[in-house]
Amino acid sequence: MIDDAAAIERCLNGEKEAFRFLVERYQAQAVAHAASILVDREDARDAAQEAFVDAFQALGKFDLRRRFYPWFYVLLRNRCYKLTAKKRDAESLEDAEILAAPGVGMTGEEKIALERALLSIASEDREIVTLKYLDGFSYDEIAELLRIPRGTVMSRLFYARRALQAKLTRKFH
Amino acid sequence: MNDCDNILMRKMALMDGEQIESNAAEPDAHLAACENCRREIEEMETTRHLLGRQTRKAESPDLWATIGTRIGAAPATAFETSRPPFVLIGVLLVVFKLLEMIPARDFGWALKTMPFVLAIALFVFLRENPFKINTELKLEKQL
Repeated sequence: MIDDAAAIERCLNGEKEAFRFLVERYQAQAVAHAASILVDREDARDAAQEAFVDAFQALGKFDLRRRFYPWFYVLLRNRCYKLTAKKRDAESLEDAEILAAPGVGMTGEEKIALERALLSIASEDREIVTLKYLDGFSYDEIAELLRIPRGTVMSRLFYARRALQAKLTRKFH
Repeated sequence: MNDCDNILMRKMALMDGEQIESNAAEPDAHLAACENCRREIEEMETTRHLLGRQTRKAESPDLWATIGTRIGAAPATAFETSRPPFVLIGVLLVVFKLLEMIPARDFGWALKTMPFVLAIALFVFLRENPFKINTELKLEKQL
C-alpha cells in the first residue's frame, strides 16, 4: 500500500500508472464535491476528470509536504466554476440530486425540501454548506480547501446558512 | 455586518464546535436580551440538525480509463489483453498469405475476404471504432 506522496513521486519519476492510485482514491469524493457545485452528475464527472488531468500536468509544482486533496480541490473548483459560467441557467435542476436517501429520523418530505433548498441557493453557498455539514470539515479545513482565511469561512458560512434557512422556512410554512 | 449578525455568526461557530477569538459568553449575553436573535438561533439549530442527519449521495465512478489514456498511461490490463489477439491475427494472416501463394489453387471468394473479416473481428474484440477521430490527441510537447 503506497501513500499519496509516494504515488506522486513515482509519477514524477515517469511512472504514469502510479497516478491511478490517486484517481481511484479520490474520484468518488471529487465527483461528490463537484456535484455540490455543478449539481448535474454528468458535468461533475467531466469536471473531476478534467481536474485530475490538470493535476497530473501540474504535479511538478506540487509540494510533497502538503496533502494532495486540498491542493487538488483548488483545481477541481476551477474546473467546476469554468463549467458553471458556461452553463449558467441553461439547464433545469429538476432531476438533480446531491443528498443520499433520507437520513436517520428524517422523513422523505424533509429530505426533498432540503434537497430543493440546497439546489436553489447560489453554488458558492451550497459548496461551503455541504463541505461543513455533509462532509464535517472544520473551519480550518474549509479555509485550506477554499484558500480563504478562517474568518471569511465563518462569515461566508453564516450567510450561506441563512440563505438556506430562508429557502427552508418558505417551504415549511 | 451589524451587531446582531456578528453575534449570530460567532454563536453559530460555537454551535459548530469551533473556537472563537473573543469572549465566548458575549453571544449568550446578547441573546438573553434580543428576541429576534433568539428566534434566528432556534431556526439555525433546526437547519443544522437537519443537515447533520444527511449524507452526500455516493457513487463509484471509474474515471481512470479515460484519464489514463489522456495522460499517456494506458492501463496495463488493456495492453496485456490486446497482445494475444494481435498474435493470433498475425499468425492467421501469415497462413492466409501462404495459402494464397500455392500455385494453381483457387480457394474462392471466402478466402479472399479473410483479411477483412479478421480486421473487423479484431476491432470488435477490442471494442474500438477505427473510424473515430480522437480530438484529444496531443503532441508530446503540447502536454
